[in-house]
Amino acid sequence: MNELFQIAFGNLFSPMVLFFALGVAAGCLKSDLSIPEVISKGLSLYLMLAIGFKGGVELAQNGAAGTVIIALALAVALSFTLPVIAYFLLRTMTRLDIPNAAAIAAHYGSVSVVTFVAATGFLGYRGVFYEGYLVAMLALMETPAIVTGLLLARRGVSHTTADGKPLLSPQIVREVFLSGSVVLLVGSFLIGWITGDKGMAVMAPAVREPFEAVLAVFLLDIGLLVGQRLGDFRVVGKPLVLFGIYMPLIGAAIGLVAAHAIGLSVGGITLVAVLAASASYIVVPAAMRLSLPQANPAIYVTLSLAVTFPFNVVIGIPLYHAAARLIGSV
Amino acid sequence: MQLYRKKKIEIFVEATRAPMIIEMIEAAGAKGYTMVPKVSGKGNRGVRDGGHLSGVFRNVLIIVIAAEEIAQRIVSESQPLLENYAGIVTVSDVEVVRDEHF
Repeated sequence: MNELFQIAFGNLFSPMVLFFALGVAAGCLKSDLSIPEVISKGLSLYLMLAIGFKGGVELAQNGAAGTVIIALALAVALSFTLPVIAYFLLRTMTRLDIPNAAAIAAHYGSVSVVTFVAATGFLGYRGVFYEGYLVAMLALMETPAIVTGLLLARRGVSHTTADGKPLLSPQIVREVFLSGSVVLLVGSFLIGWITGDKGMAVMAPAVREPFEAVLAVFLLDIGLLVGQRLGDFRVVGKPLVLFGIYMPLIGAAIGLVAAHAIGLSVGGITLVAVLAASASYIVVPAAMRLSLPQANPAIYVTLSLAVTFPFNVVIGIPLYHAAARLIGSV
Repeated sequence: MQLYRKKKIEIFVEATRAPMIIEMIEAAGAKGYTMVPKVSGKGNRGVRDGGHLSGVFRNVLIIVIAAEEIAQRIVSESQPLLENYAGIVTVSDVEVVRDEHF
């Protein structure tokens, strides 16, 4: 228990979380502090490149045999099924209509790249090993949830409007499968895997040392966005804010058990829990806006960005890690 | 100098919806368009400040100059596309120098 407390407390006073808090505070107080959009975009590209590359190199070094395939299958299964749980909870615990519930459900099956990156930062900060190929799980989990969300929404739509229209329009397919984050993550992962140690010798000064510092700057930026969105809590309402907290806990619990079952390390179990707990706020909102325009983006973006994301970064990650250590020692 | 009468259509629309609007503009027969990739302001849907995570809270401005009949087509076909989305469509009279470009 004491140890759990230490982990949680240590996380609160890591530079990453403190910079995030600074951003939230500045955003709330309407400070004119802002990180130019191009720089923020550059930072996020850097983080994805670094994490993808490191994951690929790690796979080249350690190999992983069958576990990789099983982990990838688990990723797809989680992403397909988590929205069903989320949808059921939303329809029974809140008064949301079908399109909004389905749109939110899709967010919770998909993942937040930044939350994952923050979790690797957390593990790195503590020197905890994790399986690098889990980055591939991250890339795979972005999309299936969108399909489930749209299927759930379709149950509520009259057949005349749904008939004949494909579930995913070509624009959505392109946007989702070729989204910048997926291309860069998977691409750098493959490059890391192909080039291995030699590649790492070249890339290490860029992808290893500055990683956590860049992450801290990026979290400052996300903090600003979160702070600006806090005003939208009114639109979201209390039952939904609560959902934004208990849904990640449910997802994490499922992730913990599944990751333990397939034999991942404690760091790996932590990351799968984080994946299952996190909610998308970039790719899925864009996809939902296109395919479920009746759903209100102020609700789903605020919920995943201003409720679930901070919860996961500040409390969730250390909590899931502590739980992973417990379950991993069994 | 000889000037030619055309219609200028300005469409303020949610960034995520812009590709479909542009597709429609080209299908309607316009020879080109101009897009301002980020505009901010306040309207029916509150402040649209262009939060830079996805295009969900960002508007773009698409400007098309075309002959009257094409302009009519664009305006009427834009209406179903804007249902459920942030959008403003305006039409004004303009004069252009190079007739053959529009």
